[in-house]
Amino acid sequence: MKRIINLSLLLPVIIILTSCEDFLQINPQGQMTQEAFPTTESDALLATNAAYTVFRQWHYHSGGYPILDIMSDDAHKGSNPNDQLPTLGPYDSFDHTATQDGLDRWWSTLYEGIKRANVVIEKVPSIEMDETLRTRYVAEAYFIRGLLYFDLVRAWGGVPIIETTEPPLKIERASVEAVYNLIEHDLLEAVKALPEKSTCSDDQLGRATKGAANALLAKVYLFQGNFENAETCALEVIESDEYDLEPVFADASGILGEHGIESVFEVGAIGVGSQSNGGNQYANTQGVRGSPNRGWGFNRPSLDLINTFEEGDPRMDATVIFLGEVLDGVTILGDGTTPDEVEDDQGNVIEIECYNQKVWVPGNTTDTQFGHNRRILRYADVLLMAAEALNENNKPDDALYYLNLVRERAREGNETILPDITETNKNTLRDIILEERRRELAMEGHRFWDLMRTGKAAEVLGPLGFTENKNELLPIPQTEIDISQKILDQNPNYE
Amino acid sequence: MRKKSLNRFWWAGWMAMILLMFSLQAFTQPRTVTGKVTAGDTGDPLPGANIVIKGTAQGVISDLDGNYEIGIQSPEDILVFRFIGYVDQAVQVGDLSVIDVVLEVETVGLEEIVVIGYGKVKKSDLTGSVSSVKSEDIVKITSANVEQGLQGKVAGVQVTSTSGAPGAVPSVRVRGVGTFNNSSPIFVVDGVILDNISFLNSADIESMEVLKDASATAIYGSRGANGVIIITTKSGAEGLAKPQFSFSSEVGLQRVARQIDLLDGREFAIISNEIKPGSYNNIDAVPNTDWQSLIFSMAPIQNHQLSVSGAGDIARYYMGIGYFGQDGIIDKSFYKRLSLKLNNVYQLSEQFRLGNNITIAPYNQRNAPNVTYSVYRAQPVLEPYYSDGSYAVVYNVGNPLADLAHSNNFNNGVRGVGNVYAEASFLHSFTLKSSFGVDAAYNKSESFTPAYTIYNPDGTASQQDNTFSDLYKGTSDNLTWLWENTISFDKIFDKHYINAVAGYTMQKTTSEQYGLSGANILRDNPEFWYINPSYIYDPSSNIDLVQNINNSVDPGQYYSMISYLFRANYTYSDKYIFTATFRRDGSSKFSEDNRFANFPSFAAGWNIGREAFIEDVPHVSSLKLRASWGIIGNDKITYFDRYARVQSDIITVFGFPDNAFPAASYGKSGNPDLKWESTKQTDIGLEFGLLENRLTGELDYYNRMTDDILVELSTPGHMGNGLGQRIRYNAASVSNSGIEFLLNWREKRGDFNYSVGILGSTIHNEVKSIGGASGIDSTLIGGYLGNGQPVTLSRVGLPIGAFYGYVTDGIFQNTEELGACPHLSQAGVGDLRFVDTNDDGVLNGEDRTFIGSPIPDFIFGINFSAAYRGFDLAVDFHGQAGNEIFNGKEVVRPDPYNFEQHVMERWTGENTSDTEPRPSFGGYNYLPSDRFIQNGSFLRLRTLSLGYTLPESLSERWHIARARIYLKGNNIFTLTRFTGYTPEIGSNDVLSNGIDNGIYPITAIYSVGLNLTF
Repeated sequence: MKRIINLSLLLPVIIILTSCEDFLQINPQGQMTQEAFPTTESDALLATNAAYTVFRQWHYHSGGYPILDIMSDDAHKGSNPNDQLPTLGPYDSFDHTATQDGLDRWWSTLYEGIKRANVVIEKVPSIEMDETLRTRYVAEAYFIRGLLYFDLVRAWGGVPIIETTEPPLKIERASVEAVYNLIEHDLLEAVKALPEKSTCSDDQLGRATKGAANALLAKVYLFQGNFENAETCALEVIESDEYDLEPVFADASGILGEHGIESVFEVGAIGVGSQSNGGNQYANTQGVRGSPNRGWGFNRPSLDLINTFEEGDPRMDATVIFLGEVLDGVTILGDGTTPDEVEDDQGNVIEIECYNQKVWVPGNTTDTQFGHNRRILRYADVLLMAAEALNENNKPDDALYYLNLVRERAREGNETILPDITETNKNTLRDIILEERRRELAMEGHRFWDLMRTGKAAEVLGPLGFTENKNELLPIPQTEIDISQKILDQNPNYE
Repeated sequence: MRKKSLNRFWWAGWMAMILLMFSLQAFTQPRTVTGKVTAGDTGDPLPGANIVIKGTAQGVISDLDGNYEIGIQSPEDILVFRFIGYVDQAVQVGDLSVIDVVLEVETVGLEEIVVIGYGKVKKSDLTGSVSSVKSEDIVKITSANVEQGLQGKVAGVQVTSTSGAPGAVPSVRVRGVGTFNNSSPIFVVDGVILDNISFLNSADIESMEVLKDASATAIYGSRGANGVIIITTKSGAEGLAKPQFSFSSEVGLQRVARQIDLLDGREFAIISNEIKPGSYNNIDAVPNTDWQSLIFSMAPIQNHQLSVSGAGDIARYYMGIGYFGQDGIIDKSFYKRLSLKLNNVYQLSEQFRLGNNITIAPYNQRNAPNVTYSVYRAQPVLEPYYSDGSYAVVYNVGNPLADLAHSNNFNNGVRGVGNVYAEASFLHSFTLKSSFGVDAAYNKSESFTPAYTIYNPDGTASQQDNTFSDLYKGTSDNLTWLWENTISFDKIFDKHYINAVAGYTMQKTTSEQYGLSGANILRDNPEFWYINPSYIYDPSSNIDLVQNINNSVDPGQYYSMISYLFRANYTYSDKYIFTATFRRDGSSKFSEDNRFANFPSFAAGWNIGREAFIEDVPHVSSLKLRASWGIIGNDKITYFDRYARVQSDIITVFGFPDNAFPAASYGKSGNPDLKWESTKQTDIGLEFGLLENRLTGELDYYNRMTDDILVELSTPGHMGNGLGQRIRYNAASVSNSGIEFLLNWREKRGDFNYSVGILGSTIHNEVKSIGGASGIDSTLIGGYLGNGQPVTLSRVGLPIGAFYGYVTDGIFQNTEELGACPHLSQAGVGDLRFVDTNDDGVLNGEDRTFIGSPIPDFIFGINFSAAYRGFDLAVDFHGQAGNEIFNGKEVVRPDPYNFEQHVMERWTGENTSDTEPRPSFGGYNYLPSDRFIQNGSFLRLRTLSLGYTLPESLSERWHIARARIYLKGNNIFTLTRFTGYTPEIGSNDVLSNGIDNGIYPITAIYSVGLNLTF
């Protein structure tokens, strides 16, 4: 017995001798820490892939709801009259404030993508791996970062510039010019190193290409009024012979044209009802509401848009789903809680129940709607950008050539409609090209910004509530101003 | 059917045990001892005193003159004399044939032995604030949870049911809410430190001690800041030579304590017609379905246990088996638990002792879907069934009866908690103890929903449509080991008494969980509830649940700790007491630089009652003043908060056709600078006994200031952490202060004994800072309703989780009023008028402000008990005052739902109402505002019980030491103005406290029971 007691006296001695630092070190289980990633070739691929994932996040699409179209003359809020009225309605009437729903979502998600691009840009160059792949991954990340900053600068103007994976907690807004400089730098890096689309195997479609980078760069120059560079970049895409127009207009955004000849940059998605499994809710948000139940029915094409199409233009029917229409064997009955027609006080019809056909996906469940591949850049857009830049650079004949290519495809063989444009007066042609952009690219999120950069916003959107020197930009999300303890300045006239 | 046969099994088992025990009582050797029992305080004879032979069930009662006569077996027998309110006395018989005894009055309070961390102390030597609850109070409530026994019994402790679902664990708060994180106290069961004690059976518990101030909790260092509850389970009493069996059995019925007053079919039709004219053509012909009564029913509850304890030359033992079974008042829910308890002590020699305390508790739980919320919303004008008996469509919420019928959700598992220890005494004053404890838990969850479709009247499928059957399987396990080594010293020299303990402890907690989902299961019956690869991935049916496979650790349950502890208690002359405590804790949750922290405390006490100048004061029996100060901590955060991790559960889609590719990138950033939260607590207390200790009381002032609170703050979007991602910082301070009091009066008048206790505490909770040095947030928003709307805001100067929203000021009676006031664009005549609280002439989100606090100003309990001859009565009330409830379930209205009764008082034209707006199915009038704030004060009759102990003559004939039968009611009535099921709305998230989002109602329980000791 004594021995036991003596032994037990030794216990504390034994324990104190055990090392406590080892005992108290517990690393994350089943998860890497950021110091240890990305360090291998396969890590580099994973990190690059992750930057693309942002494009399928619901919030990436202007915060979830297609507010860019809703703010334009192309569309109304949609869904039934009360659905999201307090959250989305104000965008339709330009009453939105700094606390408006969705702004914070869009802002943080764009920066989330920027962070992921920065991981690749900052870490991958020092990985020992295949040289070609390494250069390509970094160039893809530059493309993605440029694209995301382009959304930021168009939506909010000068924003904080983050080029590192360890950003400071507090940082001021950079100037609009500085943001554009960064975008230009990133896209030039991308153009330099990215491969052409034709070199991508089928399973690599959707990765950034030289054509996509040039097309985006053309757009970036257009937004800055740099028509010379815009022309150069757009023509470089055209002359690469990588792209053409889909013979059928509907396929340009529909399922048959996925990763097709017209697709310049496209976000792949699988028809499953969740983002984490590969779905994209962008189309579900705008899908037909009611019967068939394909979505929520936001972003309703306006009568103004419908009426803007020339007589017989097949693009009108391919852009708008009307009640009673039969699509892929399904009759569109619409939503019971949504009035078929809305009248104003004088009894004029001002809105009809209809839906965005460009996001339509054949199938029979809401899940299939998640499989829509959103086209961020398509060849018709490039042609129209080229036309616009050439017109500004006093080359109307070249401009007309590209413009008429778009009209010709829209005609789909019917020579009685959409005659070729012959106008060569620069100012008139400018307006014609803008109108063609509206009809060709309707409901794809371009219209509001096109009006903005051409200085027509006040004229066109004024009657809808647009206030000059205010609504050109969105307000900085109030939460960001609060969290930054007011280091971020609010945009003019939103205080 | 199965349940019935189970009950039969139980009863058969009990009866067999009982028969066995009777056979053990077979021998007696006739010899009698006589004597008289008198009272020490009055000198009067004591009639009705118990005289029992120690370690046996044999006993008699003294007659009216205090005389008794008892047969004994041998001279070794010890007679124990007992009378309520007097100290027990034991006398060895030897060769005496006449034994007269004088029983001394029990000095309640100060001489009690109180269990504290790593030791025990006489209450008079205690410098900390510690409250004890004894076994008889703990079993007063019929509940699976031991914590319920504390409610209304300990000043400063608030126990709140989070749900009335069978087996639901209540939330416990000691002295308010001191952190934005987990605010639950820790539990120490026979030395094993635990977060959750759902495995414990109340009948196995000897006592519960609540340690409240720093002097008492600092010995638990980093884990003491939310209070410590020490639970001691029963063990075999020394000198109990013959085994003592104790059996108790209780069966009861539960019913929903109250229903919510909702509109009936006709009323709903009236309101609907006002909102949308012509909705119902004939309001008198609409159906009227009372959805609540369709889902609530009476449900049984039962609790049985058998235990045996005793002591031999070497060993003392306690063994118990218990069964608790509760069916839910909503179908498809139950909780069943078996608990096996084994506590042994082996005295191997004078100096050396071994022991163990072991509990093993398998359980079975079934959970009902949250139909309480759907019956609250379901329109009364809808019928539950079609004429062919199939489930009818219930627009907007789904048919709750169909939800219930198709629900199969189970948790089955087992928890084993225990320790073994060795204890050696040496050099007379030292004791060395090493204890190794384990807490092992395994849980399996299983959920199956068959494919089913509820059809619209026109035959098309409604939204309530489960195309494929689905199955979820998950397991989780959890293992903690705790090794504690202490050396203690206990010595009296002259007028000095020193008691000290020092120790070294190590703990490691690990956990793991798995989960799998499948769809389109081959058959619906339980034999087929096993996952098969084709249930996870089946392209032909478009099933791809691969992403739902998960396997990870439970981040809150994966850490290790090393601690050093020390406490010294010094008493001089029984009057002056000093305590110093120190603990140094190291935890894996913090990085090397911040890993260790020190938690000291100091306290002093003065037994004024023992000073000569007080001893002469009449009626003052005891008086003690004590004060303490200390620093304690809280480490309840996940183990990986400090790490910046890589997010690898993401995929990206490329290719034609579209294909998923794996992806990984930086997730949210970590904070390597995290350090311990620390709470500075000061306590000043006064304890007194007056009128021969018939009146005893305690009064405490406390002040807790928690700094460096670990709080998750929003980070700016440009950090790239993604929407709504928060990072943990040490960045807030909260203070809690208040007064606690406890008053007890006990008296005996002849055969009549009674006691009355009143206790209460005030809480002033205030956020002192948020954001702090990192300065990135000034408010914390939380309390999200079902639709993501936040309704709580924690801001400097307000209590934690304060409600915020618009302030209403009547109704817009006409267009002039509407035009004259700033208003939101949606507002119209007949709608609520919101106040422009910041007076900027514009009504917007900035005008939302503080509209109520979920934290009560005052919580209290009132306890009354009385005994007269064989009868005993207990009446316990508890309640709280000064808090508000946010009626969240009423606010979230994307679709037309039923209404609460107050909507009938609606505005229908100018000056018809200035409180209840014109009816609407949702929208403007349902924006979070003080319209949904209700008074949360209540007074509840917690327990009413009436028992009868069989007279000795009868029990003796049946060879039973004691037999008691009783009737009991719990939660019989509640006085409150709150319109929901219960004003007790708890939450484990301190930012979501007091929000009623449609909880499972708590129940009223009526039961009968039997206690036998033999």
